[in-house]
Amino acid sequence: MTTAPFRKVLIANRGEIALRVIRACRDLGMRAVAVYSDVDREALHVRQADEAYPIGPAVPGESYLAIEKLVAVAKRAECDAVHPGYGFLAENADFADAVERAGIVFVGPPAPVQRLLGEKTRARRLAQGAGVPVADGTIDPLRDLAEARAVAKRIGYPVMLKAAGGGGGKGMRAVASDAELEPAWRMASGEAASAFGTPALFMERLIEHARHVEMQLIADAHGDVVWLGERDCSIQRRHQKLIEETPGPSVDASLRARLGEAAVKIARAAGYRNAGTAEFLVAPDGSFSFLEVNTRLQVEHPVTELVTGLDLVVLQFRVAAGEALPFGQSAVRTAGAAIELRVTAEDARGGFMPTSGRVALLRLPSGPGVRVDHALFEGMRVPTEYDPLLAKIVVWGADRAEAVARARRAVRETIVAGLPTSLSFHAHALAEPDFVAGRYDTGYVAGHWPAHGEPALPRTALTAGALAAVLATRSRRFAAVLDGVRSSAWVRAGREEALR
Amino acid sequence: MRYEVRVAGHESRLDLSSDGRFLVDGTVLNADIEETVRSWQWRVRVDGQVHEVTVLTPDPLRLLIDGVEADASAADERSLAAARGTRPHAGGRHEVRAPMPGLLKAVHVREGDVVEAESALVTLEAMKMENELRAPAAGRVVKIEARAGAKVEGGAVLVVLSETS
Repeated sequence: MTTAPFRKVLIANRGEIALRVIRACRDLGMRAVAVYSDVDREALHVRQADEAYPIGPAVPGESYLAIEKLVAVAKRAECDAVHPGYGFLAENADFADAVERAGIVFVGPPAPVQRLLGEKTRARRLAQGAGVPVADGTIDPLRDLAEARAVAKRIGYPVMLKAAGGGGGKGMRAVASDAELEPAWRMASGEAASAFGTPALFMERLIEHARHVEMQLIADAHGDVVWLGERDCSIQRRHQKLIEETPGPSVDASLRARLGEAAVKIARAAGYRNAGTAEFLVAPDGSFSFLEVNTRLQVEHPVTELVTGLDLVVLQFRVAAGEALPFGQSAVRTAGAAIELRVTAEDARGGFMPTSGRVALLRLPSGPGVRVDHALFEGMRVPTEYDPLLAKIVVWGADRAEAVARARRAVRETIVAGLPTSLSFHAHALAEPDFVAGRYDTGYVAGHWPAHGEPALPRTALTAGALAAVLATRSRRFAAVLDGVRSSAWVRAGREEALR
Repeated sequence: MRYEVRVAGHESRLDLSSDGRFLVDGTVLNADIEETVRSWQWRVRVDGQVHEVTVLTPDPLRLLIDGVEADASAADERSLAAARGTRPHAGGRHEVRAPMPGLLKAVHVREGDVVEAESALVTLEAMKMENELRAPAAGRVVKIEARAGAKVEGGAVLVVLSETS
């Protein structure tokens, strides 16, 4: 029995990642404190935590992004650590500063490291200085459109315009030709200004048919940095990931080692601490270039956990408490293959438009090799104010083929009824020859979806569907009435009593 | 009641007869239905094949049939008639129709009779099976449209009932 790194942890987040962190707290014998906005009053993370505190209205700026409120709760609840999860304030150096000023440990990299790596142009310069390849382009932010035009001419189209202030797909535009540059410049800088508070952009040569491959790393306060393997996150739409897997289908042992070494070099140069991820683009010829460092736990961290057997959140707590990493690079072993499917409140069959609604029926998969991280329950109203992630279906197999088969089985078992989701995309990809063969790049979604007309169903299934369609239509009014009624156990008991 | 149904682009005509039988495109269906989650999910056995159908979204109707998403719609003839601009039936009037083409073996009621819900109105022989068509509601027999021994088309009105309250 080892000692708990902290006594009581404030989790400055919601949804599945808040539950994920609560589980790590339980495993380590620490108390977990949740916060919730008005629309999350009944959320699972609130029910599962040891204590929960309201922090205001649904709009993130007044609750999950309100630094003073969160720090005040952490102090009031006498927490000795704050875990930010991902998103919200996870990469906000001011939050890390505010937490540390309150005498509480921030579970993540120190604020100066976050500031350094959060500025994408500074991170590029740092990587280059550490001997890590970066894509052709500008190191410093571009001054104006004229400079952008000159740089594009020098490195050659197509190019990417990117926000200097932050990542996540915002303020990012692919530009194929000089004619497209001016409108792309306007849109990207506008997006960057609203997302990151600065319109500054830089430019990179666009690597065609590239794969998005990232390397997980973890560093302790004693100078040890270890890489834990890559994740291929190329299956994206609007620069948002849909499927992640490890090992990367295109990554061999040599490329893996080179990516790992590059990530460690960047982490050392930045004075990195805690868990982080270095993102790279890998060209078809196996050459790679550094993109950015995400200074937090990633959504897709479970795939790395499944192949390494490590608990990354537990490790985050341990190194945040000043403990040394319990293993060195040579002790890191991976086994098998893991795939994560992000089930989101987005209509895969309607251009991935965000959706909302009440979860009417929920059936989640289980069985060998299947892990589901989620915060869903039947009757839950999916809020529109936050990230559309509903559940992460993560599967492990002895090899990729087994993992794909298990993923297919898991999706087949899954039902999330009440609102359109991304699941039909996942079902499609898992049966689609290019994905099954591991042949894909960041253009996969655009090239392979929607690739379907009407689904092929046997005659009896069509008839069953027709019968159900009639019954569903007949009972719709009834269902609509039921939807608005919260059933109370007391009311039900009263009715039963009246019937005695 | 007759429905025009579309599932995954496949159109069919579905009749729900008052005796609980289903006809798909005029053919009696060998089907069992179990509602596993009220208004949201059914297990349907068709010709020995069992399918699970879940409503993913009710409006627009989207179904999950054995794990496959499909768009669907079902419009009953009344709303179709309304959509076509004809007047819907007055409230309380029921038309009992032949769910399939067949031979009207017997008529058990006379015009003016007052009948209970579920009482037998006529016997229709189709596909060598005799089917009793029953009253969908308690009411008075307003009109009998066919005589015993007559061949009738699928969908033909046989008996008109006026509901009593």
